[in-house]
Amino acid sequence: MPIFGPLGPSLAGYVRSSKTLSSWLKPISLWYANLAGYRRIGLRYDDLLVEERDDVQKALGRLSTREAYDRAFRIKQASQASITHQDLPKDKWVTVSEDKRYLKPYVLEVAKEDLERQKWDNLTVSRHR
Amino acid sequence: MLRTSTTTVRNSTRLVRSFATVVDSTSGVKVAAIDNGQPTSAVTFLVKAGSRFENKPGVAHALKNFAFKSTNTRSALGTVRESELHGGVLTSSLSREHLALTAEFLRGDEECFVDVLASFITGARFARHELNELVLPVVEADSIAASNDPATKALEVAHTIAFRHGLGASLFAVQHPSFTIDDIKAFAASAFSSGNIAVIGTGIDQAKLSKLVEKSLGKIPSSSSAAASSTKYYGGQTRVESSSPLQTVFIGFGTTGAPLSDLAALASHISPESHVKWSKGISPISEATPAGTSVQAVYLPYSDATLLGVLIQGENAADVKTAAQAAVKVLKSRVSETDAKKAVAKAKFRAASEADSRDGVVSLLGNKIFSGADASVEAALSSFDAISSSSISSAASTLLKAKPTYVVVGDIAALPYADELGL
Repeated sequence: MPIFGPLGPSLAGYVRSSKTLSSWLKPISLWYANLAGYRRIGLRYDDLLVEERDDVQKALGRLSTREAYDRAFRIKQASQASITHQDLPKDKWVTVSEDKRYLKPYVLEVAKEDLERQKWDNLTVSRHR
Repeated sequence: MLRTSTTTVRNSTRLVRSFATVVDSTSGVKVAAIDNGQPTSAVTFLVKAGSRFENKPGVAHALKNFAFKSTNTRSALGTVRESELHGGVLTSSLSREHLALTAEFLRGDEECFVDVLASFITGARFARHELNELVLPVVEADSIAASNDPATKALEVAHTIAFRHGLGASLFAVQHPSFTIDDIKAFAASAFSSGNIAVIGTGIDQAKLSKLVEKSLGKIPSSSSAAASSTKYYGGQTRVESSSPLQTVFIGFGTTGAPLSDLAALASHISPESHVKWSKGISPISEATPAGTSVQAVYLPYSDATLLGVLIQGENAADVKTAAQAAVKVLKSRVSETDAKKAVAKAKFRAASEADSRDGVVSLLGNKIFSGADASVEAALSSFDAISSSSISSAASTLLKAKPTYVVVGDIAALPYADELGL
């Protein structure tokens, strides 16, 4: 797992690979994610990804119709909650199990394609005889 | 000195073969190759995945445009860049019966290109985003271009009227198709099996091609050849409004059963095509055709049916009517002895010169390879030798007994009705 991915630098892969580190840091990460408060206004983590980028825009275009609709709904709901300065009722909070990375696989796929294009664009050709 | 040169000549003639040998490889895929000693090679994977086999309208068209997109071994970009580096050309084309995936390349690169073609057959990914981003825009552009061309439109409609189902299915998807990626996957899964694929190589050694096909298609699911529902000819007439400046009339007749060479000869008899440049030709049709109007003979043989007719196009509806009347008169008149000889020679030359080109070999031998018939150019040409004026006339009279397929595209208020032409 590389540290520098298309979604910014991340040590998550390193942490996850070490049993000791993940057993220490996982409770902290869960606490932190809850504290961040986005789940209280009905958002998932991938709704917060910086979307003003070509690759993320392309990935958003690849969401299935259902996923795209749900995302638009969550963002609308969250905007409303933000305007009224109120959290959603507790039964509408996003739970840990619901907070899935629905967009990340698409972003990684687009990044892989971009990387491949870069590779082909900068290829030096030598023919084996 | 003299001796060495004669042996070289003899050796080279031994290498040059003008017929394809069909070999069933152990995986069940038929492999045929012709090597005329040309500097480039081409390999065509001919798949029984034409529009007559499709499970939903337009799926065959989408599958054709899915060719050379990402597979388990290569991405879409990788396929294009790699073949560019080798200097090869990849094409996919669709007919009513077959999907042809062709790679043309320099001799020596066959391993790479057979692998590119085979990887689409064995491991195409059919990603949903590729359908939306790469395939559907092209499918849509194809459909729009086809619907704006009155000749294509007339032939599409004529097929639908003539055969209704199977061969009547359009080659083109509608502009906003309803199929999903799962329909395409299901169609590909049913089509890409051993009995449905024939590999035709030109400029490549038979043994080498068989070995490569064996290696790359060895694990393909085996099946017997897809059986299409048997074709029935109906006929009928329709009028399609179109704002195109070209007024178009198609008059056609269909038969079922394996295509006869007599009908090919009849088509070249009606064809008013001139043999020399800047001349109108001496056919009675071209004499009666007003300037600015064109008449073409249409001969479309399929594995179990034939559609034969004339396509008349011109800017003026009255001129089109005059030309159509002349064409119907020629269709209905008896073929004289001299005309028959001329028509047979013309048809035979046309078939022979078609066999010179790569696409021609595929279309000439494709059905024969699938049916296991003698797939040589010589056999295809020798069928013309038995044709006489009486056999053409009898073929024509049985053809004309059927109900005509009459299609009008353009200004439907001005273009003639079938009975006005004596049909």
